[in-house]
Amino acid sequence: MNPVKIDPPKLPLRFFRWYCHPEYLEDIEGDLLERFERRLEERGIRAARWRFLKDVLLLFRPGIIRPAEGYHNLNNFGMFKNYLKVGFRNILKYKTFSSINIFGLAVAMSVCMLIILMLADQKSYDRFHKKEDRIYRILMKPVNNNRPYATGPFPLSATLKSDYQMVEEATCLLRGFGGDALYGQKFAEMRGYFIDTSFFKIFDFELEKGDPTSAMDHPNSMIVTHNIAKQLFGNEDPTGKVVSFADRGIDFWTDEARSPVDWGNYTITGVLADNDQKSHLEFDVLVSSSSLPLLYNEKKLEDLSGNWTNHWRSYTYVLLRAGTNEATLTSALNLIAADKFADHENLKGSNIIAQPLRKITPGPALGNAPTIRLPGFVYYILSVLALVIMLSACLNYTNLSIARAVTRSKEIGIRKVNGAKKKNLIFQFLSESAITALLALILANVLLIFLKMAFLDLWINKYLKFDLHTQLYVYLIFVVFALLIGFVAGILPALRLSEYTPVIAMKSPEKGLAGRLGIRKVMSAAQFAISLVFIITSIVIFNQFRYFMQFEYGFNAQHVVNINLQSNDYELVKNELSSIPGVHEISGCAYVPATGRNDNTRLGKPGMETTVEAIDLRIGENFIDLLDINLIAGRNLPSAAGDTNSFVLVNEHTVRALGYDYPGEIVGELLTERGDRTLEVIGVFENFNFFLPFSSRRTGPMVFRNEPVKFKFALVKIEPGNAEIIADLKEKWKSIDPVHPLDYEFYSDRLANNNQGIFDVVSIIGLVAFLAITIACLGLLGMAIYTTERRTKEIGIRKVLGASDLRLTILLSKEFLIVLAVSVSIAAPLSYFLNNFWLEFLVFRADIGLGTIIAGSMLLLILGLLSIGPQTFRVSNRNPVDSLRME
Amino acid sequence: MSKHHLGEFEEIVLLTVAILHDEAYGIAIIDEMENRLERKVSIGALQTVLRRLEKKGYLTSKFGEATQVRGGKRKRYFFITAFGKKVLAEVKEQRLALWNAIPRIVFNN
Repeated sequence: MNPVKIDPPKLPLRFFRWYCHPEYLEDIEGDLLERFERRLEERGIRAARWRFLKDVLLLFRPGIIRPAEGYHNLNNFGMFKNYLKVGFRNILKYKTFSSINIFGLAVAMSVCMLIILMLADQKSYDRFHKKEDRIYRILMKPVNNNRPYATGPFPLSATLKSDYQMVEEATCLLRGFGGDALYGQKFAEMRGYFIDTSFFKIFDFELEKGDPTSAMDHPNSMIVTHNIAKQLFGNEDPTGKVVSFADRGIDFWTDEARSPVDWGNYTITGVLADNDQKSHLEFDVLVSSSSLPLLYNEKKLEDLSGNWTNHWRSYTYVLLRAGTNEATLTSALNLIAADKFADHENLKGSNIIAQPLRKITPGPALGNAPTIRLPGFVYYILSVLALVIMLSACLNYTNLSIARAVTRSKEIGIRKVNGAKKKNLIFQFLSESAITALLALILANVLLIFLKMAFLDLWINKYLKFDLHTQLYVYLIFVVFALLIGFVAGILPALRLSEYTPVIAMKSPEKGLAGRLGIRKVMSAAQFAISLVFIITSIVIFNQFRYFMQFEYGFNAQHVVNINLQSNDYELVKNELSSIPGVHEISGCAYVPATGRNDNTRLGKPGMETTVEAIDLRIGENFIDLLDINLIAGRNLPSAAGDTNSFVLVNEHTVRALGYDYPGEIVGELLTERGDRTLEVIGVFENFNFFLPFSSRRTGPMVFRNEPVKFKFALVKIEPGNAEIIADLKEKWKSIDPVHPLDYEFYSDRLANNNQGIFDVVSIIGLVAFLAITIACLGLLGMAIYTTERRTKEIGIRKVLGASDLRLTILLSKEFLIVLAVSVSIAAPLSYFLNNFWLEFLVFRADIGLGTIIAGSMLLLILGLLSIGPQTFRVSNRNPVDSLRME
Repeated sequence: MSKHHLGEFEEIVLLTVAILHDEAYGIAIIDEMENRLERKVSIGALQTVLRRLEKKGYLTSKFGEATQVRGGKRKRYFFITAFGKKVLAEVKEQRLALWNAIPRIVFNN
C-alpha cells in the first residue's frame, strides 16, 4: 500500500456522487477509484487526476444519471396530492375557522404587502445608472450638527478628482439656478443645478435630444426636461435654441423669490427623455458649470472655488475605479477633512462621509436633501408595526390549529399506523398552512387595492410621490412571503400534532391532546395587550392633534390670504389688490409666522456684554393690526417711506430677556443688533407663538421692523363670506404678473396644514390599532366557538341539574374574561408610560388623562365581550334535550 | 432478422463477460477488452451498456465483498443469463450463416 494516501480530485468525485443513480453509485465509484489508483502508479498523479475527471465526465450520460423526478420517491407525488386534498377538505369542513384564519392572515398580509410595495418603489430609485455600485455621494457632517448634510464644500469634487487615484470621476452639482427662461413670448419656470462635464460620465440620465458626452462642454449650455422643452418650444426642435434666463433665487425648498436678475442667454444642447427613470435627483434644468466664471465676474453669484467653509450649496458625487472599496474612499475623505477643517473654528472635527448611491433611497434623514423622501427609520417603524399585526394573525392560526388537534387526532393516528413518519406529518400540516396562506394572499390582494387608495390619500403623499404599481417580481415576493407566513403560522401546530403516539391519538384523544390552555391564553392575552397599547396610543395622538387644531397662536389668521409675491414689487401689488372691493387690508412680510421658518438675529443693550437671540421679521406697518396682535406699549411702526429706519417693535419676551421690568420701560430705548447696528424700540406687542405647535422650542424674543424691499409675501385681509374675492384676486394678479399664476393660500388653512402630518400618524396608528383588535377578536371568537362547542354536553347536564342561563354564560365566559382582564392590567400602565415618554418632548401637549386609558380599556372589553358573548349565550340557552342527544 | 437485436459493442461486452466468467466486474471487463481487442473503452461507455444489457435481461449482477482497495467500495460482478447465452448463440448462428452464404470466389483472389 502507498505510505501516503492520495485521494482522487474532490470536485469531480462530488459531482459524480451528485448525479449518479443511487443504485449504481457504489460499484461505479469503486471502479473509478480502482482505475485512479492504478493510473497513479503507472503514470503519476497529474495524468491520473486528468483521466479521473475525463472518466467522470464521460459517465455523465442518460443511462447513469439519476432520474430527475427522484428515484426512491416515486410515491411522493401521490402523497402530496393527498395532502392537498385533505387540506382543502379541512378548510371547507370547518368554514368558520378557515374564514377566521384566512381573513386574519389576509388583513395582516395586505398591510405587509403595502410596505413591501413601498420598499420596492424606493429600492427602484437610481437603478438605471450602469455604474451604480461604484457611485458614492459625499456627505458633510459638521461637528456641531447631529445629522449630516447631503451637501458638501464646493472644491471637494475637484480635490478628489485631481489628488486621488482611486477616484475615476467626480462631479459637483451646484444649487442655485432657479428662475424663468424666456423664449420669444413663452416663459418657463425652472429649477436646477450647475453641472460639470463629469456628470454624464457618472450618471446615465437618458437624453432624447443631444449628446451627453459633449452637451456640457461649452459655457452657457443648458439641458432641459422634456416638459420644459414642450412648454417653451412646443413642437419645434429645441436643440440649438437660445433662451434668456432671469434668476429669481427659487429653489426646490422654497417659492420665495427675489427680484429677477438677468443671467444672460443659454443654448439648449440637450433634452432629458421623459421616461420612468427614478432618481433621488430631480431637476428641470442642468447648466454647464463653465458658465459660472461669467456670473462670478458680473458679481451675480458668489465664487465658491477654494471655499471649504460653505458646505450648503453643492452636492458631490464620485465614481470609484473598479476594484476599489468604500474603505479606501473613507480614509481619503478623513484625510481631506482633517486637512481642510483643521484651522476653522466652527468646522474643526467635522467629517466627510461617503454614502453609496444604493443607500440614498431609502436612506437616513439628511440636511439639504435634494428631494423629500421618507427617511429609512420610518420604514423600520412601519415594518415593525406591520410585523406585529402579522405575528398576531399567525398566533391566531397557531392557536386555533392546536385547539383543533382533537378533531384531527384520528387522522394523525391512522396515518401513523399506516407508516407516516413524523417528517411526513409535519410536511402535511405545513402544506395545509401554506394553502391557507395562499388563499389569504388572494384576499389580501383585494384588500391591498383599498389600502393603497387610503394610503395614497394621506396628506404626506403629496410630497412623497410613491409609485405603488405592482411589478411582476413584487408578486413573486408576495408569493414567497405568503409561503413564509404559512410556514411561520404552521410550524408550531405541525410540530405538536405530529408528535402524538398513535395509540393515545386514536383511543382517547381528549387526553394529552387538547394542548394545555396555558400557552394559548398567554398568546391571546398578548394579542389583546398589544391591541390596547395601539388603541390608547392612537387616542392620545388624536387628542394631541385636536389640541393642536384648536391651538391658540395668539393672533387672528381668519380671513387672511397669504400671497407669494413671486418677485413682484410689493407696493405695486398692494396698490393693485387694495382696489378690489372686499379687500380690507394688505400688509407685507418677509416670511409668514408659524409656518416652520424663522430668521434670527442677536439683540443687546449698549454697554452690555450679553446678547439675546431674537426672531427677526420684516413687516409692513399694518401687520400687527391685520393679525389682531395687541400693542401693549408705545406706538406702531411708521410707514417706511423708501429708506430704512431704525425703529423696531419687540414682544414682551424681549422686555424680560433684556432685563426690563415692564413693557413701557423699553419704549424709546436703544438696542444694538449683532453689536454694530443701533435700533430704537418704539413699541411692544403681546407675545404670540411663532413656532409650529409640535416644535420643541418655546417662542422667545422677537423683533419686527418695516423694510418693504425684503417682503416676499403679502397678507390680505378679506371680507368674510365673500366667495368671489379669490377670483377677483386672480384676475387682478394677471395684470400685475402675466407670467406666474397667483400663488396663494388661506392662512388658517396653512396653520391647520401644519398639523396634517400628525393626522397621518393618527390614521396609521389608528389603522394598526383597528387591525390588531380585529385580529385579536377574531382569534378570541374562534377560541370561544371551539371551547363552547366542546362543552355542549357538559352545559346540557348542568342545565338539567338546574343551572340558570346566566350562570352558564358566566361559566363559559370566565376564562376569556380573565384573558381580557390580564391584558388590560398589563397594557394600560404600559401605554400610559410609553405615551408619556414621547409627550415629554413637546412644549404644548394635551394630557393623557385617566379618561383616555379607561376609554381605551372599555373599548377593548366591549369588543372582546361582543366577540365571545353571542357564542356563549347561544350555547347556554340551548335546549338541554338537543345538546344531550347530540352525539 | 431476430427480434433480439444486439449492437456490436453490446455483443463484445456480452462476450467479454462470458470470457471472464465469475470475475466480470467493471475494470476487469475493460482490461480484458483492451488486452484482447486493443480498443480504448471508457467507464462511462461500458457502464451504460452493462446496465442496458442487465435491463434487457441478458446479464444479471450481484455485489462482491468489500475490500481494502477501491476506497472500500464493493465490486459488482456480472453474469450472463441463460437468455443472454441464447441470444449470443443466435447471433453467432446468424453470423455463421452469413459467412457460409458468401460465394467462395470473393475470398479467392
